[in-house]
Formats: sequence, structure tokens, C-alpha cells
Amino acid sequence: MTKRRILACIALTLMATGARTQEPPAPAEDTAAAQDTGTLLQRFSDDPDRFTQTDGEALYRTTCQACHMEDGRGDAGAGAHPPLADNPKVASKHFVAGVVMTGYHGMPRFGHQMSDDQVAEVTNYVRSSFGNDHSDPITPDEVADLRAPEDND
Amino acid sequence: MTMPPFNPSRRQLLAMIGQVAGAAAMYQAMTSLGFAGESGYTGEPDLQGPREGRRVLILGAGIAGMAAAYEMRRAGYEVKILEYQDRQGGRCLTIRGGDRYTEMGGHEIACDFEGDGYLNPGPWRLPVHHRAVMDYCRKLGVPIHPFIIKNNKAFLHSANAFDGRPQRIGHVEKDMRGHVSELLAKSLHQGALDDAVSAEDREKLLEGLRGWGVLDSDFSYSVSDDLGGVRGWDIRPGGGLMADRKPSQPVDLSPLLQSGLWEQLFGFNSYSFEPPMFEPVGGMDRIADAFAREVSDIVQLNARVTRIAQGEDGVTVTYEDGGRGGTVQEESADWCICTIPLSVLVQLDVDCSDAMQKAIAAVPYASAFKVALEFRRRFWEQDEGIYGGISYTDLPLVQIAYPSYGFLSDGPAVVQGAYDTATGGRTFTYSWSTMTPQERIDAALALGRRIHPQYDAEFMSGTSWVWHRVDWSLGCYGQWTEELRDAHYKTLCEIDNRLVLAGEHCSHIPAWLEGSLLSALDAIKRLDQRENA
Ligand SMILES: Cc1cc2nc3c(=O)[nH]c(=O)nc-3n(C[C@H](O)[C@H](O)[C@H](O)COP(=O)(O)OP(=O)(O)OC[C@H]3O[C@@H](n4cnc5c(N)ncnc54)[C@H](O)[C@@H]3O)c2cc1C
Ligand code: HEC
Repeated sequence: MTKRRILACIALTLMATGARTQEPPAPAEDTAAAQDTGTLLQRFSDDPDRFTQTDGEALYRTTCQACHMEDGRGDAGAGAHPPLADNPKVASKHFVAGVVMTGYHGMPRFGHQMSDDQVAEVTNYVRSSFGNDHSDPITPDEVADLRAPEDND
Repeated sequence: MTMPPFNPSRRQLLAMIGQVAGAAAMYQAMTSLGFAGESGYTGEPDLQGPREGRRVLILGAGIAGMAAAYEMRRAGYEVKILEYQDRQGGRCLTIRGGDRYTEMGGHEIACDFEGDGYLNPGPWRLPVHHRAVMDYCRKLGVPIHPFIIKNNKAFLHSANAFDGRPQRIGHVEKDMRGHVSELLAKSLHQGALDDAVSAEDREKLLEGLRGWGVLDSDFSYSVSDDLGGVRGWDIRPGGGLMADRKPSQPVDLSPLLQSGLWEQLFGFNSYSFEPPMFEPVGGMDRIADAFAREVSDIVQLNARVTRIAQGEDGVTVTYEDGGRGGTVQEESADWCICTIPLSVLVQLDVDCSDAMQKAIAAVPYASAFKVALEFRRRFWEQDEGIYGGISYTDLPLVQIAYPSYGFLSDGPAVVQGAYDTATGGRTFTYSWSTMTPQERIDAALALGRRIHPQYDAEFMSGTSWVWHRVDWSLGCYGQWTEELRDAHYKTLCEIDNRLVLAGEHCSHIPAWLEGSLLSALDAIKRLDQRENA
């Protein structure tokens, strides 16, 4: 069984648990809550070694959001997770894709756990969300050109 | 589950023997925070002290900063610590019922535990070969008790093996040992290892394998009363006229190999996790509190360092009193020891060599998270006979740790219901880190009930910690690679004019308290030598 199927099974079991409680009159929230949990669990990749989400938003929600936050505004205290909204540096698609692949200061790299397509997807998502409106998407081929040779495994 | 019979080739067999006998290197690579290495602690530092009044400014009141302050002051230096938080201890902390913490992004983490259980969000267990930690616990009066690192009754679990039923650690371990002994005996009998083993050794080895693997007279690993005495019983020996005892049934080799549970065992081979391990009685912050008792009179809290300027013979540190945006203040000193995590330091204005700047900027910070859950009763003890220890799973929660304190007590108790770090290379830590505090609890419950169905009936409340949402560390620990170390480590640790860095990131034992202590002890020794040169 693949990891995706494991998580799908868990989600189904949760929903089934919710459904079973319906035999005596159903607390509607239970089913809703179970479905929410199913959606929540999709935030985990099916493979512990690589991110398996494919679209830019889903990739953002399972990686970047940890530090740059739901709204792309980051946060600052002693140190900062910089905002990706209202950030002039985000104008460069090569910069954003490069940071995603190789990391930046304390930010870990993601290049070894994402394909060229995934890096392109998440880069394009960031550059067209949170009020960003950059109309020059990066292509997977351009991402491939940015990769360090040792990254191509 | 039916599996084809397993007929290993000679090459497979030898690979397996290698695994059983000595795959320390592999175990270490696969282990979370499994950095081995004997600690280089040689006892109390022997400092000469300053020739005349000398002022030392220490940045950060974690374990490294407080240990440096404690020893420098004892040696006669005038010491002051600037700390960003309103507390001392840094990453060495404990959260208990009633605690509140606002993480980055503005979410509030609440801990509403009703019993005396707690969560150690960071450090939680101490190996005995971390001799500096042990020595300071002794000197500063921090009582410790055993931390059960390996419990043979705890579980190994894979969602897609054995119909999702967890297996006992002891069973998996003994069955693998038995099967591998049987296979090795078979090869020896067939003369397959005659090149490697002399005739005399062969007899000794066969004899040993029979005892070690609990093989029968035909050298086969199978049910017997002897095995019952090693692996346990389906019907346990009783008293009086109770039913006759019945030995437990070993699991076949192939399903075990296919399950992935064997690999889950490898973590226990890491030297860092060698039993016995220990923990401070009452929570890991007891160590931080003990240092704080010694140095709190020289700690200034709520001081956010923003700049470290160096002159010919001194340093000037700029800080914001009251946190980011607070009143700007300055402090000057002869020497500065900076223990601010590199992830934060790289964002500050630091006068130092280009090479050191590059070193500070080079090290990414690993992710890590924990979720703790309070339950109405200790069902793991009462229903499953699990007293302390850790269960492992391939579900994204990775591990469930049971408390090593309060055994047998009635009333609520806390388990560490999910924990992983980026050391293992799994993607899951990031996903957990993206979740709100409530979502983390929901996910830990939804996944954990696959292992402990009692979760639903017994759950009371939960709390969590995400190291990437901590603004004063921006992560769990400095994630060095060998290439990064070759390029930057030495420069990072060298004294740069009047400034020296310390902290777990300046050690070969990252993500352990011992690394922080040893880096601090080494930094002050070198400063003291420079002072007296
Ligand atoms: C998840 C996890 C599990 C761990 N498990 C274990 C374990 O089981 N056993 C073990 O021995 N160790 C463990 N460790 C490692 C241990 O916690 C660390 O090595 C140690 O606490 C680090 O101490 P430090 O003094 O180097 O840094 P810190 O404790 O981080 O101290 C640095 C201080 O600098 C302050 N600071 C930051 N920025 C500024 C600024 N701008 N101005 C002023 N002050 C600032 C911070 O607030 C902090 O107090 C674990 C760590 C983690 C995260
Ligand atoms: C684990 C935390 C973390 C995650 C996850 C993370 N980042 Fe970052 N990111 C940081 C930190 C910290 C910095 C700032 C480093 C510095 O300047 O010291 C940063 C910087 C950046 C920058 C540069 C911004 C600037 O103004 O210099 C970009 C662009 C960026 N991240 C994009 C992303 C994208 C896209 C993702 C998801 C694929 C992502 N990050 C995931 C922590 C993270």
C-alpha cells in the first residue's frame, strides 16, 4: 500500500466513524469534523522523503506556510521570517526559485525534496498570491537550469 | 497476510548478518538526533582569571550563556548577560498546565493540563556519557531519575503491515534475532562460510547462535517453552490450578522483513540513546532553573541585541530594551561571548571577519515539533502494560513517548503524542509546523488512535510546540553537513578580535545540551588564555 493510500484510508476511517455515529441521531458536526481532519491529514506528503503535493498552493500550505505564515506576511520578534507579500525581492522569479531550492541563511533548502515542476509551481504561487501580481511565471526547465549539479539526484 | 517463503541468497544473507552484527554507522544515520560521539568534557574549567578588572558581555541566557557566565564570574571576570526573552533557559524549557505562549504568526499555545504532567518542547533526555551535563546536574543540585528510552513492551507500528496492528518491540527484536541466527546456522552447516570462519570457531559460533537466537536442537527458530521464557507467553504461567502456560508464537521472517518494523528498531542502536538515560525530576527546565539560580542577578531580560560593534580593545553591543522596537541602549565590555542562534544572528549587524560572516550565514536551522496529550487515565500502563518508553510508527506522528514518571498513579497523565525532527529527513515536520495549535492536536489524535484506540474515550486536552515558530531560535538546531563543517566550522568557533561565539551550533554535538556546555567551556578557556597571553 502506498503512503497516499494509507492516509486516504485513515481519512475514510475517520469519516466512517463519523457516519457510524449517525445511526443514533447524528451530531452533524462529527461528520464535518471528520472530513476536516481528512483534509488536514492531506497536508502530510505520501512519501516521507519527498513532498508529493503537486499544485503550488498545496505545496505552500505544507512547507512555506510553516514560516512565512498563512497570509505570506511572515512575522518578526528576536529574528524574523520575512514577508513574501510586499517584498520587492519576490519580483525576481530566479531569486525565489533559487531560495526554495538551496535555502537562505537559516531557511532550509527544499530542492532535494521537490521536483522541478514542484519548485516552479510553488514559486509561481508565491509570486501571484498575497497581493503579488508578477506575470512572468518560471518554467520547470528554467528551474532545472538553476539546480546545482549535485542536486540532480 | 500471506507472504512468499523467504529464500535469501548468500549475498542477502551476509548483508543481513552485517545488519545484525555491526551497522552502527547506518543506525546512526537513520536516527533522529542520533549524533554519537564521546563527550570531550575534562572536568571543571581551570581559568586563570583576568589580570585586572575585565568586563565580559554574554549574549543569550540559554545553557551555553549561563554556563559561560557562571564560570567566568567564578574566575573573577565581571559578567553581564543580555537576554531577549522574559525568562532564562533558552531552548531548555518545560510547559505545564496554565502556561501560555504566543508563537510566531500570533497563534496562542495554551497548556491546560490538569495533572502534574508536562511537555519538554526541546531537550527531554540525557545520555550518561554527556559528562558535562551530568556534572553540572550534580554540582548544581538537579535531581535526575531514569528516562526509559527502550521499553520492550512499547510498540513498533506500520499502517500497512499486520493489518495495522502494532507489534511489541521485544517481539520484533527477538524474532529477528532468532531468524537471523537460524539462517546463519544453516549457512554454517552448509559450509557456506568456511572461508570466513575456522572449524573451531564454527562450533563455538553454532553453540552460541543456539543460545542467542533460542534455536531448538535442529537449529530452527520455533515455538518452545524455552522461547516462552525469552519471548513471553500466550498463556502466562499462573498459580494454583490456573491454565497451563503456553509460549507465544514467533512471527515469520518474511512478513517481519516486509513490514519495515525491523528498521524502526535501529534507532535504539545509537550510542546517544544507550540505556540508561536520565531526565531531571519534574521537567527539563530544572537544569535551566539551576543555572539561573547562580546567575540571574547578572541577567538583563527583555533585551533584544541588534548590533555587535568591535573596536581595537573592546566591544559595544546595541540592544532594544523591551524587545523589537524598544528603547535603544548600549553596553560596552572588553570581551563578548555571543550564544545567539545563527538563524537569528545572521539577521543582526555584527562586526567580524568576512569569513565569519559567511560561516554565520551558512548553517540552515532544522525543523522540529512536538504535540503532548493529556488523558484521563494511564491506559498504556493499565491496558497495554507499557510503563514508559517510546513507540514508533511510520505514520506522520513518528513516535509516542510515555511518561517515565508517576507510574501507576490514578488521574490524568501526559504522553508526548507526536515528535519528529528534520534529522530523519522526513517531510512531515514541515507539515506539522504549518498547522495551527488546534490542528496539531487534531492530527495527533486522528493518527494516534490507530495505535491506541483508547484516545477517543480518554482525551482531555493537548498542547504543542513548533520550533520554527519560535522567534528567538527560528528552528530547532544548526543543521551542519560535513561539507559545511569543512568550509566554516573552525572559522565560526575562532575568536574574532574581541568576539567569540558559543552555543550548540559551535559544537560537534548539535541539538544536545552537552554541545552547548562544551562549546561554552571551550570558548571561555580560549578567551582566558588570550586575556593572559
Ligand atoms: C526538539 C529538540 C530536542 C532536543 N532534545 C535534546 C535532548 O533530548 N537532550 C539534550 O541534551 N539536548 C536536546 N536538545 C538540544 C538542547 O535543547 C540545545 O542544545 C540547547 O538547549 C541549546 O542551548 P544554547 O545555549 O546553545 O542555545 P539557546 O538555548 O537557544 O540560547 C540562546 C539564547 O539566546 C537568546 N536570544 C536569541 N536572539 C537574541 C537576541 N537578538 N538578543 C538577545 N538574546 C537573544 C534566546 O532567547 C535564548 O535564550 C534538543 C533541542 C530541541 C530543539
Ligand atoms: C523553516 C522555515 C522556512 C520555511 C519552511 C520556508 N522559509 Fe523562506 N525563509 C525563512 C527564513 C528564516 C528566511 C530569512 C533568512 C534571512 O534573511 O535570514 C527566509 C527567506 C525567504 C525568502 C527571501 C526573502 C527576503 O526578503 O530575503 C524567500 C523568497 C523565501 N524565504 C521563500 C520561501 C518559499 C517559497 C518557501 C516554501 C517553499 C519557504 N520560503 C519556506 C524560513 C523559511
